[in-house]
Amino acid sequence: MTAMESRREPGMKFYVGVWISLLLIAGVEVLLTYQIFSRGRLLAVLLVLAVCEAGIALMYFMHLKYERSTLFWSLIPLVVFVFFLMNHFWADALRLARVRVLPF
Amino acid sequence: MSESEVALGVAGHAAVMEEPAYAVPPKKLTVWLFIISDAVSFGAVLFAYGYLRVGSTNWSAPFEFVPSILNGMIMTFVLLTSSLTMLGAVLAAKAGRKSSAVKWMGLTALLGAIFAALHLREWFHMIGEGWRLFQNPAGGSVEFGAAFFSITGLHLLHVTCGVIAIIVVAIGFSRGRLTEGHVETTGLYWHFVDLVWMFVFPLVYLMNAAR
Repeated sequence: MTAMESRREPGMKFYVGVWISLLLIAGVEVLLTYQIFSRGRLLAVLLVLAVCEAGIALMYFMHLKYERSTLFWSLIPLVVFVFFLMNHFWADALRLARVRVLPF
Repeated sequence: MSESEVALGVAGHAAVMEEPAYAVPPKKLTVWLFIISDAVSFGAVLFAYGYLRVGSTNWSAPFEFVPSILNGMIMTFVLLTSSLTMLGAVLAAKAGRKSSAVKWMGLTALLGAIFAALHLREWFHMIGEGWRLFQNPAGGSVEFGAAFFSITGLHLLHVTCGVIAIIVVAIGFSRGRLTEGHVETTGLYWHFVDLVWMFVFPLVYLMNAAR
């Protein structure tokens, strides 16, 4: 195996298992929507489940698990950092848009 | 000489060429970089939606289980299944089963088209109820329509581009003009479209479900 080739990938049977697990998570999301009545708690639960789903899709469907770890460490932390910045500074941007100029 | 052999320099130049850090073909790395930048674009739109929703005192939650949430569940099933069929295409292409790969890609494009049709059905249903970019028939925040149509429209645009790309690559691959590398990179993009939906469905549909 050359270094350019991915590590050994699983077959279709394994991917069917991943597909079923993703469908189950989506089903749980719908179920919890009608069980949890606090919007804040529902948002937190849905976000955690969505991140789990995305992680499974990223690692198995998009084969990131079977690539070199350098690819993962170069891409994913960067995106998470950008989302972290958005989360912290966009609220401030909205506040600034509502700031009125003082009349003096 | 294969693409990987060229990149590794095994044609007599191995001593002067170092091994690439990521060990993926340049095409695949380019698609990964595109996906990362696109993920940031979607992230920005979803964060903007989040702030609008939190900042609004009269946000609407108009999605009844039937038809909207049920329609969203069917769309999720269709898109996840299309990811599985795309994996079938990639595995078949890598194994050298050309006709099988083309069939899997055809099925993926069909599922993508079904997803787009279901999405448009949802849009027309909402437009029929009076929802517009800056119009809320329920009397709540007008920003709901802007957020909903922008986010789902951006995703629908990606799905449409993906369906076109899959059809083009399937034709090229069947005629021998494109390689299994093209099938794999197209698959990578298609899985990303699926991944984005994993956030759009809970955040835009389920969080706005009428309860």
